[in-house]
Amino acid sequence: MSADRPAIARPAGKNALIGERTPLIDGAEKVSGVAKYPADLDATGALVGRIYRSPYGHAEIINLDVEAARKIPGVVAIVTGDDCDVTYGILPVAQNEYPLARGKVRYRGEPVAAVAAIDEATAEAALRAIVMEVNELPIYDRSEDSRAPGAALLHDDKPDNLERSVHTEFGDVATEFANADIVREAVHDCAEVTQMHMDPHAGIAEYDVERHRLLLQSATQVPYYVHLMVAQCMKMDKSSIRVIKPFIGGGFGARTETLNYELVLCLLARAAKGKVRIKLSREETFFTHRGRPRTKINMKIGMKKDGRFTACECTVEQSGGGYGGYGIVTILYAGALLNAIYDIPAVKYDGYRVYTNTPPCGAMRGHGTVDVRHAFETLLDKMAEELGIDALELRRRNFLQTPTTTINGIKVTSYGFPDCIDWAEEASGWKKRHGQLPYGKGLGIACSHYVSGAAKPVHWTGEPHATVNLKLDYDAGVTVLTGAADIGQGSSTILAQVVGEVLGLGLNRITVIANDSRITPKDNGSYSSRVTFMVGNAALEAAQNLQKLLIEAAARKMEAKPEDIECLGEIYRVAAKQGVEMSYEDVVREALVDTGTITVKGNFTVPREYQGGKFHGAAVGPSMAYSYAALAVEVDVDEITGRVNIENIWVAHDCGYALNPLAVEGQIQGAVWMGLGQAVSEENRYFKGLLVGPNVLDYRVPTIKDSPHIEVKIVESNDPNGPFGAKEASEGALAAVLPAVANAVYDAIGIRVDDMPLTPERIVDAMVKHERDTKAQRQAAQ
Amino acid sequence: MEYMPPFEVLKPSTIDEAVALHGQTPEARFLAGGTDIIPNIRRGIVAPGALIELSGIAEMQEITQTEDGGLNIGAGVTLAQLETDPRIAAAYPAIAKAASEVAANSHRNVGTLGGNLCLDTRCVYYNQSEWWRSSNDYCLKHRGEICHVAPKSKRCFAAFSGDVAPTLMIMDATVDLAGPNGRRTIALPDLYQADGAAHLLIGKDEILTAVTLPPNDGWATGYAKVRVRVSIDFPLAGIAIALKRDGEKLKAIKIAVTGLDSQPITLAGADALANHPFDDALLQSLEGLLPKQIQPMTSTLTPPGYRRRVSGNLIKALAKELFATAG
Amino acid sequence: MEKSILRLTLNGRERADAVDGNVLLIDYIREIAGLTGTKMGCDGGECGACTVLVDGEPRLACISLAASAEGHDVETIESLAEGTRLSALQKSFHQKLGSQCGFCTPGMIMASEGLLRKNPDPSVEEIRTGLSGNICRCTGYVKIIESVQDAAERKAEGDAA
Ligand SMILES: Cc1cc2nc3c(=O)[nH]c(=O)nc-3n(C[C@H](O)[C@H](O)[C@H](O)COP(=O)(O)OP(=O)(O)OC[C@H]3O[C@@H](n4cnc5c(N)ncnc54)[C@H](O)[C@@H]3O)c2cc1C
Ligand code: SF4
Ligand code: FES
Ligand code: FES
Repeated sequence: MSADRPAIARPAGKNALIGERTPLIDGAEKVSGVAKYPADLDATGALVGRIYRSPYGHAEIINLDVEAARKIPGVVAIVTGDDCDVTYGILPVAQNEYPLARGKVRYRGEPVAAVAAIDEATAEAALRAIVMEVNELPIYDRSEDSRAPGAALLHDDKPDNLERSVHTEFGDVATEFANADIVREAVHDCAEVTQMHMDPHAGIAEYDVERHRLLLQSATQVPYYVHLMVAQCMKMDKSSIRVIKPFIGGGFGARTETLNYELVLCLLARAAKGKVRIKLSREETFFTHRGRPRTKINMKIGMKKDGRFTACECTVEQSGGGYGGYGIVTILYAGALLNAIYDIPAVKYDGYRVYTNTPPCGAMRGHGTVDVRHAFETLLDKMAEELGIDALELRRRNFLQTPTTTINGIKVTSYGFPDCIDWAEEASGWKKRHGQLPYGKGLGIACSHYVSGAAKPVHWTGEPHATVNLKLDYDAGVTVLTGAADIGQGSSTILAQVVGEVLGLGLNRITVIANDSRITPKDNGSYSSRVTFMVGNAALEAAQNLQKLLIEAAARKMEAKPEDIECLGEIYRVAAKQGVEMSYEDVVREALVDTGTITVKGNFTVPREYQGGKFHGAAVGPSMAYSYAALAVEVDVDEITGRVNIENIWVAHDCGYALNPLAVEGQIQGAVWMGLGQAVSEENRYFKGLLVGPNVLDYRVPTIKDSPHIEVKIVESNDPNGPFGAKEASEGALAAVLPAVANAVYDAIGIRVDDMPLTPERIVDAMVKHERDTKAQRQAAQ
Repeated sequence: MEYMPPFEVLKPSTIDEAVALHGQTPEARFLAGGTDIIPNIRRGIVAPGALIELSGIAEMQEITQTEDGGLNIGAGVTLAQLETDPRIAAAYPAIAKAASEVAANSHRNVGTLGGNLCLDTRCVYYNQSEWWRSSNDYCLKHRGEICHVAPKSKRCFAAFSGDVAPTLMIMDATVDLAGPNGRRTIALPDLYQADGAAHLLIGKDEILTAVTLPPNDGWATGYAKVRVRVSIDFPLAGIAIALKRDGEKLKAIKIAVTGLDSQPITLAGADALANHPFDDALLQSLEGLLPKQIQPMTSTLTPPGYRRRVSGNLIKALAKELFATAG
Repeated sequence: MEKSILRLTLNGRERADAVDGNVLLIDYIREIAGLTGTKMGCDGGECGACTVLVDGEPRLACISLAASAEGHDVETIESLAEGTRLSALQKSFHQKLGSQCGFCTPGMIMASEGLLRKNPDPSVEEIRTGLSGNICRCTGYVKIIESVQDAAERKAEGDAA
């Protein structure tokens, strides 16, 4: 770590945890194979649950006959849409999905019925015996088709198949465009991508009919939402339901919503009066989706000759799938985060979230912002070239002057962005190499940013945004209780570090228990990069509260004033008196006198002034802190096959302060790499609503052979509100990858390809077209 | 437990025993490394009554020198062995290269030469789960009435996508077969026909026991594969070339391609280009051999136009590269 | 269909189990032997999560039959640690953060184990080739490569600690 890291105040001799490279506290379980993911849980006595999925993309259900299936020996229960007449969904205002379709199916693969049987073969036979009769309706894979005049409606209450349109204008866009010296526009079409977390969805539910209680163990990023939705759909008391999150094989946003299979599983367990396990295939996991929608963008930017932005106007249309899901938030994010990275005097945004007959999209990593950032940063690159200004210099001319409040009411308090750009420039050799590499090789840079947790929670209850409980007992161990889901990002480790840092204790004394609704406090979940910031702050407060009790106990015992006590972790001493000290264990013993086991709590709530403006949709975008990233990519484009090989990536990321630099690097590398997949090879394609290639061969996640070294520079701008100065440390850099690759491809072969991904075929098509155009131009000139 | 159709596994230890076992269980299929057939069983494309495992047959696992100085490679030899065997690397580098580009490391450890040559053809409408295919009314190749790639066609256009075959074809390899009617040896191209639903011309009860390669008398050989990912990706196209050089002239050339049709194809007409100066016109002629002889269809997510264009350009590039290195 | 008795060595122990011919090796390992460290990440042969060693060579358990392992030596992730003492590779993946969510990790480590046994000092390219069939969705592979290098060094120093 560089010497200029922001310092953490800590008395000499006190244990240091924050800022140290710390392996994950649950890492040993993972590397030894002991960690239990949902599919690994004890399924003794569990029935096999399987889902019957609609083969139709858009149809009215005339009849669903499950009687033959029910009669098969070994079939214990069958549930259909008749078993649940309650809709669910992440947004209280947009819950329009049933766990099992009722009346209508809207995408191929939608769950229609489910069976619980004694084994796989019986379940398989039962599925084959289910008969569905339908009246087929037109299938729309793409938003342009479902929005076309006269298209059949997916949802009767949603005219034009529009789930939501958003129109915002900040500043005087018309005037600012008029003030511009150049105004340029570009159109982009970015393909749908999906999370493809490594573990296919799975879960176990157990329904106790005697006591009417339900236990669900499932791979979710937000156990709390799942808990709410299960209660809602099962019409059960929340207190009769227990939700546990075991180890989970990543999420990347797919599991921030309650997913249909989780609800189906619970319905099945109740119908079967017992324990049921569902393991979805990889293919079914693809159909469950909740990825990033196909997004069409029209980007228009106005600039002065000196490269200063005057205005930006952006239209976005997303093919969102058959149900609401997170759609409204996604389309709002796409617009809101046009701001808060550069100083743009006027921004107009028109967003259209459109229903299509495809699996519902969701909140994939970099939620809402990625494709729009791609459009912005590539157009910026083009305009910089046209104006003859270095693309990095142009960005520098447009820095925000922080702290500031943006035109759309977002507060930016820490802004390490300039340092990010400086480092990326230096590390990649930008000045000497950009524009100088031989044909086929290119260097590109782009930038991006992201929130550190949405300032307004999805469910507005008036409760704090995060709560952490600590328990201290006779064993002198501190147990951290949190509802925040560690999904592999290392959040439990961060919480242990925060608590250990405050108390001066080693990780040996700290245990984190996460995600058991019976035991741990409610948490809003692992999404929008909120955990480190919000739950970290709550843990900080909890630890401070506990330390206060310990210091008071030490003061009592050593007959000193609390303010004179110095805590070194394992030793408490009276600062002024040499040699008057107590061991931590003795302090604990004293603290427990009369009170017994101590439980303390810490809360965190984003203050009102950070929760955004008053306009419609203002709730999406605001955060207490923003991360910034600058990223350089070096590519090698194969002249013949058009394959874009990524040779090198350099990324600088302002995460405020790296509580765990090891994990921060890992998160940044992982996010950047995921962006790389979207940039060069990942793409969901549909054939009449049927996802073609729902497998790991056709959905081309980069292999280790396609993946370059990713060098990370952690920039620490020390956020005034983050725990120890920390803020978001992963999603921020993802969005920069797509435009950086596109800019690098341009540098390599002199051709702009605006759509995504840059597959070999897209590159070759562009090269062929380029050749044809140049020839035509030459002929015209002659 | 994954759902799997019922079958038993039979384990012969000689070729004759394997042939006899097949006689007793006609619905049986041969199992080599299983990297192609097991995924297909899991997808419900294949439902064998029994699998006859060939990996216990010692005589199929060897690479031996033939009397004339060529090689006889047992069908059970793994791709990893092809990749690393020094005799192959020395005389037939294109074969080693093609083998090294198949799937990934762990597939090559078990995937065999025989399995690679007898690989089922591939198509996006076919290599899908039972649910997927049934939702799409199946297709000509399996259980269905029409071809989604060419709805008017009576024929299936699923693509043969084995990497190794063309590198053997340019070396004029022959294959040894054993079946109920005894043993026979055929030229490798005679193993195939242009029908994606029945691309193999050997009987279901015939075993491909070995591949014989004549000695390499001075051919420079190479293989180039088109794919999106560098690993775990079938060839969108694969080009194998053998050529001989005579000063600035091309003395002789052989070209075979894979991934572009339902069978691997040796391009006809290449011999007519022998003894031509190695210039741009010649390269154009080489590329010109392609369009009439191959028929890539929309059997992959990547459009056929791309596969055709890139193959043509690759033929030129690979020929140039080999010409430059040839003695 | 008759179940037949399958005899093999699993993590150093000889076993005999009554198993149907159509049982996949991964299901034998996970459901019959109860060793759930080996993961299933795809519908067959595409991701490497199920990588185990058969006679020391990396093998995809999801496209292998249990019956084919008859008489062979099968090793899974559970075989590497001695009790709770992690092996060199496990330590390195832990300490260098070669494992985030951990789902690809058992497969990654087994593929790496197969590699290091044959090639104790692999180059970065050789590591890439050795792990070319293993997909990880979390790490971007950078720290996985570093973990394998670290383990190679650890092993060279004769030190698993
Ligand atoms: C993810 C993935 C990626 C892949 N990528 C590639 C790739 O890039 N290139 C490529 O070429 N292949 C690829 N494959 C396919 C496969 O791994 C290889 O082709 C391999 O060589 C097949 O050999 P096998 O021994 O495993 O065949 P098996 O699966 O055992 O057999 C394949 C077929 O051949 C028959 N057969 C096998 N041996 C004989 C014999 N001796 N006589 C008669 N019939 C026989 C079988 O009955 C079966 O129908 C891939 C597979 C997967 C799962
Ligand atoms: S080419 Fe046609 S018939 Fe053959 S597999 Fe594909 S869709 Fe089926
Ligand atoms: S689970 Fe075996 S390769 Fe994916
Ligand atoms: S660590 Fe999550 S998939 Fe590799």
